[in-house]
Amino acid sequence: MKRRDILIGAAMSSAALATTATHSALAQTPAPAASGGTLDRIIKDKKIRVTAEVTSPPFGILDKDNQPDGSEIATARQLAKDLGVELELVQVTAPQRIPALLAGRADVAISSLSITFERAKTVMFAPPHGALSIVIAGAKNHAIKSAADLAGKKIGLTRATLEEATVPKIAPSGTNIVMFDDIAATMQAMVSGQVDAAGMSAFAAKSVADRNPRANIENKFTVTTAFYGAAIRPGDFDLLQFMRTWVFLNKQNGTLAAIYQKYTQVPLVELPVL
Amino acid sequence: MNYVFQFGIVRDHLPELLNGAWLTLKLSVGAFLLGFVLAVVLAFLRSNGPRAVRVAVGAYVELVRNTPFLVQLFILYFSLPAIGIRMEATTAALVGMALNFAGYGTEILRSGIDAVPRPQIEAGHSLGFSRLEIFRHIIVFQALRTVYPALASQFVLLMLGSSIVAAISAEELTAVTNSLQSTTFRSFEFYFVATGIYLAMSLASRLALHGIYWFVFERGQPTR
Repeated sequence: MKRRDILIGAAMSSAALATTATHSALAQTPAPAASGGTLDRIIKDKKIRVTAEVTSPPFGILDKDNQPDGSEIATARQLAKDLGVELELVQVTAPQRIPALLAGRADVAISSLSITFERAKTVMFAPPHGALSIVIAGAKNHAIKSAADLAGKKIGLTRATLEEATVPKIAPSGTNIVMFDDIAATMQAMVSGQVDAAGMSAFAAKSVADRNPRANIENKFTVTTAFYGAAIRPGDFDLLQFMRTWVFLNKQNGTLAAIYQKYTQVPLVELPVL
Repeated sequence: MNYVFQFGIVRDHLPELLNGAWLTLKLSVGAFLLGFVLAVVLAFLRSNGPRAVRVAVGAYVELVRNTPFLVQLFILYFSLPAIGIRMEATTAALVGMALNFAGYGTEILRSGIDAVPRPQIEAGHSLGFSRLEIFRHIIVFQALRTVYPALASQFVLLMLGSSIVAAISAEELTAVTNSLQSTTFRSFEFYFVATGIYLAMSLASRLALHGIYWFVFERGQPTR
């Protein structure tokens, strides 16, 4: 007990030292331009800019009138509503989701970004508000039961996605991995037979199988299950804290589960806390 | 802006970038050569073929020049498999670029052919030359000399436009850059370096094309 107290005391004093050091460093360098913080700016301008990636059903799609729709767009709408501000959707492609956030084109990225170590080195994640499984999908005539069967097959993947981060790690040598820029192209390659199978979210696989019954597409096996959350620019701690509270409240009142159920037709699993 | 540039990671991946640049160069030169031969044939048919052929060539040129290159690639790569024609991404890219270049090349050559003085062609007729012989011995060399600068510019456009083939998964410079920036999140650094590589390739190919012009058209010619 005594020893722990000493340890805590030591930690606190070093934390205090660190704070002092930061302060003196701040005093010497000019204050950053947006000193008010992103959350203050959003509330002051009555507008939040959120990334919209509209080529990955059911997270982001274009509806019949060519307007963005999908579970992540609905999530962004709910966020703007709860903040009491106007929503500006910043349309991005999948590989642009994080660059657009870092470049300041958007205040927050809500585009089915799975929480990974790699991404966490570049952006800050809010607690997850949804979950997805990555599967290998392909036509019925290709016999693929496990990762070992991928050898010698052509497997389509989309750049800057969770499947790009996970499938190459489980694929045996001899797997021919083919990269596309957006999920629509990956799906098209699978339907037209340019690839034997493709890695994508279970929902994307369901959507492409439902829309192309003649292609006989089925899920071969599940690669991994991941949780996705909003990504925030490094240093925007005010906005991060708001997002934490926002996820907590909408988890409690069932809004997140309702959005997920509506767009995926699958019940939302219990979300872990980040 | 508080962004810290980290070019060390680009250096680590330089071999991959150079591999991509090499494929860009191979695709561009290959498509240029194939497209050029096709353009000369089409230009001949357009000025000498039967009426139906002339119309068909004209339609091809207008189709290529008035539709997006990306859509042309999608048709080659995603649509043709439906009728049983399946190409690897790199092959589809090469074919697409060559067909596209042939469309522009035919139109460029036409202006050169039109610029050959009529009396020379009439002289060929009166000497008993066939149409093909007139085209081969009188028209083509002069026409090429006239339009050479336009063809050279079109080559550079072809090379820069090759970045679009990344969309059908051909692993050229832009595709490699996209992959690297999406796994490292160092988009500024990778795109800067890719820009530099494209610039270097453009300038080098302009220089090379200039050299070819001198070698083919000016070497050994009396000074005018």
